[in-house]
Amino acid sequence: MDAMPTFPPDQLMMPEALSDPYPIYHQLRDRTPLSYIHIPGGLFPGIEEPIRAWALMKYSDVYGVLRDHETFSSARNPLIEKGVFPPLALITDDPPRHTRFRRLVNKAFTLKRIEALEPWITGVAHELLGEVDSREVELVSSYTIPLPVKVIAHLLGIPGEEYPTFKRWSDAFISSLVTTSQEERMMNTQEMVAYFGQMAAARRAHGAEDLITALVEAEIEGESLEDWEILGFCILLLIAGNETTTNLIGNMLNLLVDRPDLWRRLREDRNLVEPVIEETLRYEGPVRMLTRTTNRPVEISGVSIPEGELLGVFFGAANRDPTEFPNPDEFRLDRDLRNHVAFGMGIHYCLGAPLARAEAKITLNTFLDRFPSLTRGAASALRQTASPIVFGFQELPLVLKPVGC
Amino acid sequence: MRLLINHNKCRRTGQCVYLHPELFKAEADGSPTVLIEHPGEELREAAEEAVDLCPSGAIALVEE
Repeated sequence: MDAMPTFPPDQLMMPEALSDPYPIYHQLRDRTPLSYIHIPGGLFPGIEEPIRAWALMKYSDVYGVLRDHETFSSARNPLIEKGVFPPLALITDDPPRHTRFRRLVNKAFTLKRIEALEPWITGVAHELLGEVDSREVELVSSYTIPLPVKVIAHLLGIPGEEYPTFKRWSDAFISSLVTTSQEERMMNTQEMVAYFGQMAAARRAHGAEDLITALVEAEIEGESLEDWEILGFCILLLIAGNETTTNLIGNMLNLLVDRPDLWRRLREDRNLVEPVIEETLRYEGPVRMLTRTTNRPVEISGVSIPEGELLGVFFGAANRDPTEFPNPDEFRLDRDLRNHVAFGMGIHYCLGAPLARAEAKITLNTFLDRFPSLTRGAASALRQTASPIVFGFQELPLVLKPVGC
Repeated sequence: MRLLINHNKCRRTGQCVYLHPELFKAEADGSPTVLIEHPGEELREAAEEAVDLCPSGAIALVEE
């Protein structure tokens, strides 16, 4: 009997692996930490040599690294130092800067604010589905992209008539939109930075009922946020809160379209909505991986890793680790779903998790109310492979049969 | 007042331990323990902030 050839780790970030990563995670997990090519040479200007990192795929390694921010830095990042990626508020900060920023932002981005937003989000969900009849619809462009964009625009206090402009800016941060050129992205970002700069100044003069006002007013022990920090936070919302939510919702509906029995059960018992969302996060979470850098030499699962090395922390692989989740490739609602690392863990635990959960819940409830069944369209669903970070669909054609159709 | 953690809801994210080390500490498995079960008035603001920041809604402050 031939042994199955092991997947070459150097191809972990290649399109073939990105479209179907889970079998590869299973092949590699026991051998991690494992060196792999994180950024191929020549992909970015000025980066001729490949940038290597250590892949972590075991649940215990991933959880341990995420909880130890003193050893594993988010601010030290060779990709930022080499200009491949710009630094981002919070995500690429370490304490003490991160601590102050997160506490202030927490004041504005509260569970209460998100709960208050739920009726408005439900209205948007219905509005987006208003045009849907029993023909085939491509859900990514018609629903899963516009919903989070509208929610963020609303949170930030952008008037409805400026939504098309905001959508254009937000597209600059969607990695799977391969049609947008680098120049267009740059121009859109500059335009947006100018807009939010003016907005922060305006809210300082006259407050309104929006997140920017709450950010301007947030204060802890005499400390408050500077305008440039508020701007950084607005950009963070678009980068971290937009495409991720799009992909969570898309992945969830894609899993449900193949499970008609579960759809029927869900329509009868809405207590299953929350476990379905949590199991989707575990089973096909929207963020594959993020990175950390070692602040000192460490040993992880018996492998010595020097100081200053880049680590690829694979959430998606940890969430399918059979040691933590028995029968990991089964989508089941009867497991302990508190432990998945889809939103990370530790000090960088996703600030927007309550908002993402709310948008997924509202989507699922709205779809259950409106559609007795979901079926696949004639066109095939297409996984996006442009981004090595997010896991989701570029196209998801479905046939939604409204009640009474 | 009394500060409580609902361990059935807790996801061990570590946010409470990180932002309010004066009120919580982490056990070896990452789960949090309350350090001051009956905080005084001087800790009210911190305790209320901890309730608000928990992403799992697992922290409660009960008036006695």
